[in-house]
Amino acid sequence: MSTELAPGIARPTIAIGRFEAIRRRPARLFVLGLGVLAVSIALGIAFGSVSIPLDQTLAILGHRFIGWPSAVTWSPSTETIVLELRLPRVLSAATVGMGLALAGVVLQGLLRNPLADPYVLGTASGAALGAAVALLVPIQFAFLGLGLLHLLAFAGALIAVWLVYRLSGGGSSGSITSVLLTGYAVGSLLAAGLAMAMFLSGDNLRQIFFYLLGSFAASTWAQLAVALPIVAVGSALILSRARSLNALLLGDEAAQHLGLNVRRERTLLLALASLVTAASVALAGLIGFVGLVVPHVVRLVVGPNARAVLPLAAVYGASFLVLADLVARIPGELPVGIVTAVVGAPFFLALLRRYRTGYQL
Amino acid sequence: MEEITRRAPFRDRRTGSLRVRLVALVATAMLASSCASSAPGPTGPASIAPNPTVTANATVAPNPTPSPNTTMTAPPTVTASGSGGGKPQFPMTVTDDEGTQLTLPSEPQRIVSLSPANTEIVFTLGEGAKVVGGTPDDDYPPGAGDPPDVISATTVVIEEVVALQPDLILAAGDGFTPEATIQQLRALGLHVLVVYAGTVDQVLADIDLIGNAIGVGEAATTLTDQMETRVQEVTAAAAAETSKPRTFYEIDASDAIYGPAPDSFLANMIQLAGGVAVTTADAATYEIPLEDLVRADPEVIVLGDADYGACPNDVVARPGWGQMTAVHDGAIRPIDDTIVTRPGPRIGEGLAALAAAIHPDLVLTPPPPAPPAPAC
Repeated sequence: MSTELAPGIARPTIAIGRFEAIRRRPARLFVLGLGVLAVSIALGIAFGSVSIPLDQTLAILGHRFIGWPSAVTWSPSTETIVLELRLPRVLSAATVGMGLALAGVVLQGLLRNPLADPYVLGTASGAALGAAVALLVPIQFAFLGLGLLHLLAFAGALIAVWLVYRLSGGGSSGSITSVLLTGYAVGSLLAAGLAMAMFLSGDNLRQIFFYLLGSFAASTWAQLAVALPIVAVGSALILSRARSLNALLLGDEAAQHLGLNVRRERTLLLALASLVTAASVALAGLIGFVGLVVPHVVRLVVGPNARAVLPLAAVYGASFLVLADLVARIPGELPVGIVTAVVGAPFFLALLRRYRTGYQL
Repeated sequence: MEEITRRAPFRDRRTGSLRVRLVALVATAMLASSCASSAPGPTGPASIAPNPTVTANATVAPNPTPSPNTTMTAPPTVTASGSGGGKPQFPMTVTDDEGTQLTLPSEPQRIVSLSPANTEIVFTLGEGAKVVGGTPDDDYPPGAGDPPDVISATTVVIEEVVALQPDLILAAGDGFTPEATIQQLRALGLHVLVVYAGTVDQVLADIDLIGNAIGVGEAATTLTDQMETRVQEVTAAAAAETSKPRTFYEIDASDAIYGPAPDSFLANMIQLAGGVAVTTADAATYEIPLEDLVRADPEVIVLGDADYGACPNDVVARPGWGQMTAVHDGAIRPIDDTIVTRPGPRIGEGLAALAAAIHPDLVLTPPPPAPPAPAC
């Protein structure tokens, strides 16, 4: 895909530094990102709390997926660990990382607010409330490997955004500020509901708590098979609307003058970002920082052009979360949200200091 | 949501069913585990039981080292008795405490235990050598802590369980082992037996169940017969007492006050030990408001948190506690929480210790384990 700068969008002329060479070459950065992602996934499969020799890991993967004629020297349990535990887990992390990073780019752009993240419009509280309700309802339910928790979290996230959208006057003339404030208000209301659910939940509190921190420990192929298509299609559609996002960044009026149907594009992008976020949180719980920091880091490096930022955020977001999950696994199943925050925040701060001047969305 | 998770104080020392504060505990434990803290002290945040949502019946043993002052009466030991009996027949189908039927194709040789009580049961039945994975809180009998731990902070590390190639996994029910974990393990084709005891009788039944499942049914019967005799002796002696003091078993009172829920395992223990349990409002609640406790006016306060720093003198000094009969009479007695709350082979001794705490004049042979020396 073309990642050249769109004509008419000024390249920020700041910080001539070490990265200047790559900044001018988003396409190279993208290819590099694919490499980083491949290495991250390989590392994610190769390492874990149980140590499996690298050649054995590769042999298992080759044997299973490309029919590599290697002698089976590994135990069935090793194969289970690689194929049934680590592989779906790593791919889930990549999927969620890509989805959250893209949703973050979209929402920061749409709302023209650097503090926006995928959860800003009530998605997080909606999903969490849905998950909490699922744990309170004494119904055992499983469909396509998905429990009630996943479905209610997904539904909760979407309903919350829909509510925010309706209450803030839709995509029409409603100002960006009113959308943000409505999102905050609805989010607070849902958070109160969540607090109530947690209070009532008794022994289920731990499960809700772990959901709030996010984890890939329970990833399965079945769940990935449902979530991946949603995130992939949503992400592809978001990527295809990079030009609209660029126009919207200029402000509603300017976008209108450029011939953009502002209302329709904004609604569409919002819906896509929410869909991707909802699928991500249903899969892995609430993982913070990916959707906030990755878009900013990418923008700091290549500038604000959405046609460069979106694909880069997708690959680096995926790599980041795969690595964060790996780090979370090593000491023994930390919630991955802790790792993303602990690793992400200082890194982000360092970058901010480096590019202190001229930052723009 | 972050406000909610941060709200809780971080100074708790123990778990138990302290659901309101579990949030803080889990967070601390996770941070602590990242520092690979392997030496939990009595007050350190790392001393966390495998499951913060333990109900009263489950093991609440943050401190892995039993107090050196605690003279433990030797628990019933089982030798290879009844060698004449028929060998257990495998494949064997057993039904666990959640009603799940489990068919074991052959006698389990590689057992993973997900609760200290289950570890203790297998070791006491003489099959400790078959335990290939356990919990960080396995502390009894000697050697129980040797198998590698498959639980990190509060999470069962599935990968490590799978790598151990267990042919039987002994989980604990009622949320002690998370339901999702049990499902995940079963989805991987592993045999998971879930035990959950709500009463003393069920502890005995669970020991028989585990014994059968691991092919030592006869040894288990011998053990549970001994235990039952002890339980009956203690129960009979306690029943013969004329008084039935209202007894409050304090699980924790460092912040809010936590005690047994009605119809819980602890309530059952107190009743068998000749007391009337002062309980919380309902079965899902482990917190009791001070007002309710004052109104219930316990005649005996048993300090289950004695090993974690609670001491009788402090109880007397607590604001509002002075009106209780137990405080007036000085009937505040420390106890070794582990043997009382862990649903394992020592439960008869736990019951004896509890009966002795409720009725100090009770004569039991053999004498109950001595209570821990006050921490103050």
